Amino acid sequence: MTNSAVKDVFVMIKQVPDTRSKAGLNPDGTINRAQAKRMLNPFDEYALQAALNVKKQTGCRVTAITMGPPPAIEILYTALEHGADRCYLLSDRRLAASDTLATAFALWKTIEHLNGFQMIFCGLQTTDGDTAQVGPQLAERLNLPQVTYCEDFEVVGDKLHARRVVEGGWQRVVSELPVMVTVANSYHPLEFKSLRGARMVQELMRNEALRSQYITTVDLDVVGADPDLTGLKGSPTIVAKTDKVGSIGGNCAMHQGQAVEALVREVTLQTNLLEFAS
Amino acid sequence: MTDTDQTTPPQEAEPNKPVALNANDPLGEVWVFCELQEGKVQTVGLELLGAGRQLADKLDRPLAAVVLGHNLGEIPRQLIHHGADKVYKADHPDLAEYRTLPFRRVLCDFMGQQAIPPHSMLLGSTTTGRDLAPRIAAHFQTGLTADTTELDIGPYDHKGGSDASKIGLYENCLYAIRPSFGESLKARILGPWKNPQMATTRPGVMIPLDPDPSRTGEVVDMPVHLQPADFRLTIAETVREATAGVDFDNADVIVAGGYGLANADGFALMKELADCFENGTVGASRKAVDLGWIPYVHQVGQTGKTVRPKIYIACGISGAIQHRVGMQNSGLIIAINKDPDAPIFKFADHGIVGDLYQVVPEMIKQIKSSKGSKEVSSVGV
Ligand SMILES: Cc1cc2nc3c(=O)[nH]c(=O)nc-3n(C[C@H](O)[C@H](O)[C@H](O)COP(=O)(O)OP(=O)(O)OC[C@H]3O[C@@H](n4cnc5c(N)ncnc54)[C@H](O)[C@@H]3O)c2cc1C
Ligand SMILES: Nc1ncnc2c1ncn2[C@@H]1O[C@H](COP(=O)(O)O)[C@@H](O)[C@H]1O
Repeated sequence: MTNSAVKDVFVMIKQVPDTRSKAGLNPDGTINRAQAKRMLNPFDEYALQAALNVKKQTGCRVTAITMGPPPAIEILYTALEHGADRCYLLSDRRLAASDTLATAFALWKTIEHLNGFQMIFCGLQTTDGDTAQVGPQLAERLNLPQVTYCEDFEVVGDKLHARRVVEGGWQRVVSELPVMVTVANSYHPLEFKSLRGARMVQELMRNEALRSQYITTVDLDVVGADPDLTGLKGSPTIVAKTDKVGSIGGNCAMHQGQAVEALVREVTLQTNLLEFAS
Repeated sequence: MTDTDQTTPPQEAEPNKPVALNANDPLGEVWVFCELQEGKVQTVGLELLGAGRQLADKLDRPLAAVVLGHNLGEIPRQLIHHGADKVYKADHPDLAEYRTLPFRRVLCDFMGQQAIPPHSMLLGSTTTGRDLAPRIAAHFQTGLTADTTELDIGPYDHKGGSDASKIGLYENCLYAIRPSFGESLKARILGPWKNPQMATTRPGVMIPLDPDPSRTGEVVDMPVHLQPADFRLTIAETVREATAGVDFDNADVIVAGGYGLANADGFALMKELADCFENGTVGASRKAVDLGWIPYVHQVGQTGKTVRPKIYIACGISGAIQHRVGMQNSGLIIAINKDPDAPIFKFADHGIVGDLYQVVPEMIKQIKSSKGSKEVSSVGV
């Protein structure tokens, strides 16, 4: 167990607006970030489970890292409840408006600031950024091989054996460590939090001295990141304009609560379905 | 940002060194990455050549197809016929199958040697394009927009912001347009400060040009200098299922089944409903395909086909983003799901909350009886 090649794994997680709840959604479907509820990016749950599975297999230490405003500490609590060993919150006003390149830069500096690792797990994508870019951009900065769209894997000796999604099928790959892995949402879902973890987090929330043993908050100066290469300044892209997409989303006519016969009749009457009958 | 001296190649590719551009730097080419699968050009590459052609014409610069593989044979010619003015090719046994690091090495080396970096670079939003594009973008510290659905060239007047060095009028920006925020809004994303301006585009969105065998163009070899570090990952096995036989393109109605069918036999019911239509075809979610209930050719979505029938009937499909991108442009979406909170109801046009095993047979019954009544009335006239 302890002589495994894997001693430290990092998992990158992000807090996103909770689009599953109605609070914080403007009438036009945009997100009101100030009012929205927050949650752990659902795709990062798989990444967290992947890291925890490596811990189960090898006994390694799991470090959860997030970049975000102070409330993002909530998702670090979640990570601890599920079995992460320590957490880092990169929080700095100068990070505002970072695009994926600037985000990856800041996360890279944070990772460099910490001690070494053998594996980094990222989610496939975020529900608010929705780019699936930060993981590979981080891997480029760290000069790592990468396994994207990973559906399943196993650490064998000092290698990672993984299965990943490809167009029209799947692929088995073998990678040297260290490696960056983005975990697909076809991986194992996040397991229930442990009672021990939940108790510990209850304790942490009350006890600041204890909290600081598990969660370290850092800023750009601490990790030695040039503020000009992150935030708005370090972002090569900006969102210049948004138009409404009329045809997509939000207006589903729901048919429910009646006998099936009536439900289907409503749909055939309200659509042109029957025109295509042979 | 520093001004780039135009006489020296700006990027003797020192990684992580920005390729800064002045607004009045000479315009670069438009590059399109054309991915191969089992030695064949993928449709998304041809679609991107169609989109890239328009961008290149607006910029009045050449369109270059970029292709890496082994035993390329006629492929460069094929790409020229589909609109490329130039083909940059790397033909090498180590490039026979896509792997991040070797492809990244060849592309970044070659791009770094260009006296004028490409104006823009387009890749498909496939598992390959989305694996490779961010590596290149991070290497050159340039902007990358994911999953675009529209591309254009136009001006941009950047007036404000905290960064004075970015202010100015930029004539020829890549407009990378994509749905965002739960897709009720479109975002136009711009990054004219650094070239190449990069974007990935969903398969099935852009329109390829009809091949023109009389077109000619230049074919240029990209040097291949791989390093031991590029072989840190090896592919043990790639499994792809045969693709042939399902005609999504001409289907008016697609009846798609998912995990909610609970077993392979459910697809008989899907077929029965599809057969009620003049041009009906059966589609499937990846989960149903992975479970072996139906062959891969039926799969709709990010790693399957992009379809746009007049009507799409989703039965027992939750509406995961990877499924949605393959069918959201359908004329009308009818979703049948027993969970009223299923994400598919967020973007379907009509949602029936119920057990598909009750709803679908009823739908078949009503369609058949409507046919009956049509016949009766025509007889009655
Ligand atoms: C890189 C990558 C690429 C992918 N590519 C694709 C792709 O191309 N295409 C694709 O489809 N997916 C793709 N996926 C998978 C995708 O994320 C989802 O896992 C998949 O689409 C889910 O399939 P489903 O909706 O059939 O199953 P589920 O998500 O399990 O949904 C089943 C639904 O059926 C409903 N249901 C159950 N029983 C009944 C009943 N009796 N009557 C009515 N409703 C019922 C349930 O309420 C549920 O909503 C990809 C994933 C990754 C990571
Ligand atoms: N602010 C962040 N903090 C930590 N990890 C992040 C952050 N943003 C993105 N990531 C990681 O990168 C993945 C892809 O994000 P994205 O490129 O935004 O779709 C996420 O699933 C996370 O694992």
